[in-house]
Amino acid sequence: MTAIDLFVSPLGRVEGDLDVRVTIEDGVVTSAWTEAAMFRGFEIILRGKDPQAGLIVTPRICGICGGSHLYKSAYALDVAWRTHLPPNATLIRNICQACETLQSIPRYFYALFAIDLTNKNYANSPLYEEAVRRFAPYTGESYARGVTLSNKPVEVYAIFGGQWPHSSFMVPGGVMCAPTLSDVTRSIAILEHWKNEWLEKQWLGCSIERWLENRTWEDVLAWVDENESQHNSDLGFFIRYALDIGLDKYGAGVGNYIASGTYFEPSKYENPTIEGRNAALIGRSGVYAGGQWFEFDQSRIREDVTHSFYEGDRPLHPFEGETRPIDPERGRAQGKYSWAKAPRYDVPGMGYIPLETGPLARRIAAGAPNAEPHQDQDPLFVDILDKIGPSVLVRQLARVHEAPKYYQWVRNWLDRIDLHEPFYTKPVEHPSGKGFGSTEAARGALSDWIVIEDGKIANYQVITPTAWNIGPRDRDEVPGPIEKAMVGTPIKDPEDPVELGHVARSFDSCLVCTVHAYDGRTGRELSSFVINGMV
Amino acid sequence: MSSVLWLQGGACSGNTMSFLNAEEPNVVDLITDFGLDLLWHPSLGMELGEHAQKIFRDCAEGRRPLDIFVFEGTVIQGPDGTGRYDMFAERPMKDWVADLAKAAQIVVAIGDCACWGGIPATEPNPSGSTGLQFHKRERGGFLGPDFRSKMGLPVINIPGCPAHPDWITQVIVALASGRAGDIALDELHRPQTFFKTFTQTGCTRVQFFEYKQATPSFGDGTRTGCLFYEFGCRGPMTHSPCNRILWNRQSSKTRAGMPCIGCTEPEFPFFDLAPGTVFKTQKVSGTIPKEIPEGTDHLTYMAHAAAAQIAAPQWSKEDMFVV
Repeated sequence: MTAIDLFVSPLGRVEGDLDVRVTIEDGVVTSAWTEAAMFRGFEIILRGKDPQAGLIVTPRICGICGGSHLYKSAYALDVAWRTHLPPNATLIRNICQACETLQSIPRYFYALFAIDLTNKNYANSPLYEEAVRRFAPYTGESYARGVTLSNKPVEVYAIFGGQWPHSSFMVPGGVMCAPTLSDVTRSIAILEHWKNEWLEKQWLGCSIERWLENRTWEDVLAWVDENESQHNSDLGFFIRYALDIGLDKYGAGVGNYIASGTYFEPSKYENPTIEGRNAALIGRSGVYAGGQWFEFDQSRIREDVTHSFYEGDRPLHPFEGETRPIDPERGRAQGKYSWAKAPRYDVPGMGYIPLETGPLARRIAAGAPNAEPHQDQDPLFVDILDKIGPSVLVRQLARVHEAPKYYQWVRNWLDRIDLHEPFYTKPVEHPSGKGFGSTEAARGALSDWIVIEDGKIANYQVITPTAWNIGPRDRDEVPGPIEKAMVGTPIKDPEDPVELGHVARSFDSCLVCTVHAYDGRTGRELSSFVINGMV
Repeated sequence: MSSVLWLQGGACSGNTMSFLNAEEPNVVDLITDFGLDLLWHPSLGMELGEHAQKIFRDCAEGRRPLDIFVFEGTVIQGPDGTGRYDMFAERPMKDWVADLAKAAQIVVAIGDCACWGGIPATEPNPSGSTGLQFHKRERGGFLGPDFRSKMGLPVINIPGCPAHPDWITQVIVALASGRAGDIALDELHRPQTFFKTFTQTGCTRVQFFEYKQATPSFGDGTRTGCLFYEFGCRGPMTHSPCNRILWNRQSSKTRAGMPCIGCTEPEFPFFDLAPGTVFKTQKVSGTIPKEIPEGTDHLTYMAHAAAAQIAAPQWSKEDMFVV
């Protein structure tokens, strides 16, 4: 047996920086610890501020999903102030949130994920040269077009919100804009261009309708070989290459999932409440654990700080949540190792457990039975999970599957805007109240809890998808989802552990974090051999 | 060929995301056509771990020439000046910044956070954040008021939350095409070519401003009126080209009906987001805007406003942006 402590710092391209330390035994990762390494204190800044401060501050938590932050912070205020939302406002919010995700899918795939597919570790693959031709940074044919065209969907965001990233145009009671005819027609034309030039021509090699006919894993495999165009599209090629280099073999994770859902059917959410939220969703919420579906219930969420650099002695619901940082040096002496808190969910019969969030979680939620007519019902990924189990490949497929789906939804919402009806209902600014707002950023469930007292923010807590996924161990020493997903990863070349990059990046996390790994069998840190840095 | 190293401190990556929206040139053009040699970037860099660290060390120690050091995000100094709230590649990020700023020909702060501290430095500034050469409007910041890069320049500030991609791509093209001498800075170290004008310059609502016609409410009300009077729009007091160089080639916040929040100025977020200040014009005696367009005083402003309201034609009281 050879045991190696491997330290990788930084591991970039995760919308931040990631340090990785793993222990490898016989060429396989046995245990991992994740560490978020940067603290800004947004929840502390928000305390005592204007109730609407979250509309300006929370988008700046993350620049790639700032529109998602805005979306959920607006809904948190809608709930707290008991507003009325005109249907037009819900449509515009849906459109913009979805356009941010449409931007994220190709930008993430080419710029952050796919360039690792050109790593020399794969030079023996018969498809390697083709991968380099397509995905090499800056010069790859697909890279250049995919990254460049990813700016198109957010042009639509700018038409309604003024700019992307970092607008604050969604406000309690609706949106600030009142689009005109050409705003809508231009949006349609921009999306049509993006669909023609990238989504269908380059990515799918077929119509979006054809791709969305796929209901099973066998359908997907048959689709790849159906014709030259699909076989040679970026997606067709990616599936073939991923299977060749084994991306379907590792990175499974905890196998339990949470989606808070997003996009509302306008007529079902004119008066936003916590209780009415699940039924009004188009992209469904849900928890899938132990092979069973459960209804999403925000009251079952707790944040544990046992291993996080914060004061606190018990898991708290975000309405009671605290953010009291401590010097990491002092924290380490207490066994703490991350700036991320560890979110946990009380699954009936299973207790508080870590859950993976993101596109795969959304696709599993969409496979649950008994959808309402306005809701997403899509069996594909439940089938894929049954047939081949979760992996880096399946997580990627789930993400890119949303591009054609959301495109259709956005076109439908654009068609439903009534330019002669209102986009805003002025709310009463109640001096006190509690609100919960949530959405699905490209990378997963993103939620705010706000408590307003005496006309100012008494408490504000945010749980990001990155916290769900990269969060550290909890009081029971149960690892977080990425920590778990790292385990079992085969490392071909410890000098260049590209496989760790695949796993970390398959979660598309957006925070500076570190992964440490120790001997899975003894729990002790191994140091028989150290490369790539200072352990 | 210009070598560029881009790092992030207390950042959200918003300036990077904005940069990736660029066209003419886009990020690929900059590298393939304008000879930008991007040594490393947190979102775009190829290298991992030791390979990436070697680039930083080689630049910091002068073994590898560094033409432009771009920094995004605040310099985090907490807790107690240690910088341990932001660790990067085994060191506090602030230590990398100190070394790399000294080694670079030009240092560029991109976005409010790197320029003046931005939102993380908002009261009570939990992370001890500051900008590279300013803390809010006060000179100094992390590098100190006297810092000069190897080329003899102070930190070039490209503010905005985020900065518009053209504000940096055009500077890079200027450097690449031999026009470095044409980049004149204002007293806040911002390129004047972008930041001499006001956000209001080119705003589609400027005719309503001229006749002092207020937008009555968000949403359908934004088809008419100016956002300065009720919704706290800072367009007349903020320096930016937001309405000359449009965002995402399409629009701007004020065109879309959102008040300017002054995000290219060091005070952003204004009033530290105190209750009652968000999207609301601060007034004296209940009606007169507390802050008035740069260079005017309240007396002349009121005289001008009274005359303008009398002169206001009927169309200025109706919807202009209609279906």
